[in-house]
Amino acid sequence: MIRAEGLTCTLGDFALRAIDLDVAAAEHFVILGPPGSGKTVLLECLCGLKRIDAGRVLIGGEDVTAFEPRRRAIGYVPQDYAILPHLSVKENIGFGLRVRGVDRAETARKVTAMTAMLKISHLLERSAQGLSGGEKQRVALARALILSPRLLVLDEPVSALDESTRQEICSEISRIQKRLGLTTLHVSHNLEEALSVADRAGVLMNGEFQQIGTLDDLLRRPRTIDLARFMRCGNIFEGQAEVNGSGSAIGVDGGRIAVDGTHRGAVWVVVRPENIAVEKLPADRNLGENEFPVKLGRASDLCNYVRVELDGPIAMVAHLSPAAHGALTQRAPQPLIARLDREQIHIIDRSQDSPRHRTHAD
Amino acid sequence: MKERKKTSPPRSPLSPFAWVGVLATTLFVGFIVILIAADLFYIDGAAVLALFTKPFILHALWMSLWTSVATVAIALLFAVPIGYTLSGHRFRGRALIDTVIDLPIVFPPLVAGLTLLVFFSQTFLGRWIEQDLGIEFVFQPKGIVLCQFFVSASFAIRSAKTAFDEVDRRYEKVALTLGCTEWQSFRRVTLPLASRGIVAGCILTWARAFGLFGPLMVFVGSFRGRTEVLSTTIFLEQSIGNIELALAVALLMIAIALVALTAIRAVGNHSMVKL
Repeated sequence: MIRAEGLTCTLGDFALRAIDLDVAAAEHFVILGPPGSGKTVLLECLCGLKRIDAGRVLIGGEDVTAFEPRRRAIGYVPQDYAILPHLSVKENIGFGLRVRGVDRAETARKVTAMTAMLKISHLLERSAQGLSGGEKQRVALARALILSPRLLVLDEPVSALDESTRQEICSEISRIQKRLGLTTLHVSHNLEEALSVADRAGVLMNGEFQQIGTLDDLLRRPRTIDLARFMRCGNIFEGQAEVNGSGSAIGVDGGRIAVDGTHRGAVWVVVRPENIAVEKLPADRNLGENEFPVKLGRASDLCNYVRVELDGPIAMVAHLSPAAHGALTQRAPQPLIARLDREQIHIIDRSQDSPRHRTHAD
Repeated sequence: MKERKKTSPPRSPLSPFAWVGVLATTLFVGFIVILIAADLFYIDGAAVLALFTKPFILHALWMSLWTSVATVAIALLFAVPIGYTLSGHRFRGRALIDTVIDLPIVFPPLVAGLTLLVFFSQTFLGRWIEQDLGIEFVFQPKGIVLCQFFVSASFAIRSAKTAFDEVDRRYEKVALTLGCTEWQSFRRVTLPLASRGIVAGCILTWARAFGLFGPLMVFVGSFRGRTEVLSTTIFLEQSIGNIELALAVALLMIAIALVALTAIRAVGNHSMVKL
């Protein structure tokens, strides 16, 4: 549906470098990345709001690189929504239609239908000033959708909202996107937001995509150490790998970790906190492979799970269910072990590290 | 019978800091009002009557009004595009251009008039405009507008730039994606949002043009019935000892300025118009 090929844009010291992106029709694609990574610049390049130095943009197979923004048929919802303050809500939503020469009656009819769909009919006569964040978000969405765009582009659509409104709006965006079968590009720096709406995602850092794929890929098989950190992989250990039988053994500070596959040399060992099992060690059993004696450290109850720091030969962080955490802490102290499942351990070859990390780590 | 309790909350006493503001405001406003009152008490009925009966004063009034309004109109034609360009674009030499635009604000009044006079009388380009093209400014009514424009347009440009600086450019970007051309997004979005600041600039420009005196005396003189404006009338009348009439004209200027400023400010408050 939308494709960027070798898209390059330089802005002072910052540059988007040879961005390749392919988003399928009706797909909800999230561009994730820390602040300053170039997400908004990329969206503006795709919308035609920023001049690109090289590359091209195709929408529906048509090369739109030279097109003005208004000819790209992209519905754009910018960060903070940019509701035009000198117009009413009704005029904001109908603005695009009026500019395109649609008569007042037809504009009014479409505005009414769109606001009914987004459940904001009660706002129509209100001034743009004084709307709440959630109301502004819906008005901006209505203003973009009323033009029946080929592509919906959302720049941090919920970052300015409180937690409960954020979840509500995310569900609504998802519902509308599926209902209209609308190809959607959605920028966010928030992992939970991406998880709640994305079919696929790409992580942009320093003007380059680190990885594009399903969220499962990004969460469990990050290609770079920067990406692993951004995806909150939690347990990242520096190690030296050597082949051991059909798998590999990796020496890390405090122990050895056995993993599948053949790995050699300097590596990063990545284990997500939710993939670490913590259990009591029966008196009649010795430590097995990838089992480490631990003590429970500081615990933070985060509603759905408890984040527990594990003190042991290898310092780790685990996410436990509240019930599991309760069971471990209720009775008299007993030796505990943390167990790493071989299949859930991800290895990143350190030869692919950026120079920054090589200098730091070596 | 039950005594009704007052429901309005008690007024909080002013803080010492707030008192400083109240005191400063009272002193300044009082100072201006006292000065105007002193003028009012000095003039007599004959002087006031002369304002509306002497043809040369009515002519000077007309000259002051149309030239200052024309100056504002021309200044706007320059201020909007220049302010928008300086606000939205970063380019080499921008700081220098910015400084040059501000120069007329700090020009000593007589220097401004002298500069114009030298240009039109001593330079090839000035003489070509005056003599070959036949567009005469020196000692001509057109010169009043040129002189006022030279001295006051910077206020309009500076205000327009500030007004455009304050408009979030994301509004323009959204307008472009909604179907606007660059001109449409400027006309329908940016200009209405900047209009208050632009109107404020117009007020400053008009006030400066309306009260201009020094440069006009040098560049166009004060020929009765031709290039005389109210400010030069005041000078001429007081130089021949007719202080009452000079003060009456001064008060007329103050009254016009008061009405104009109030009207423009009222328009400005409602000027986020949908152009």
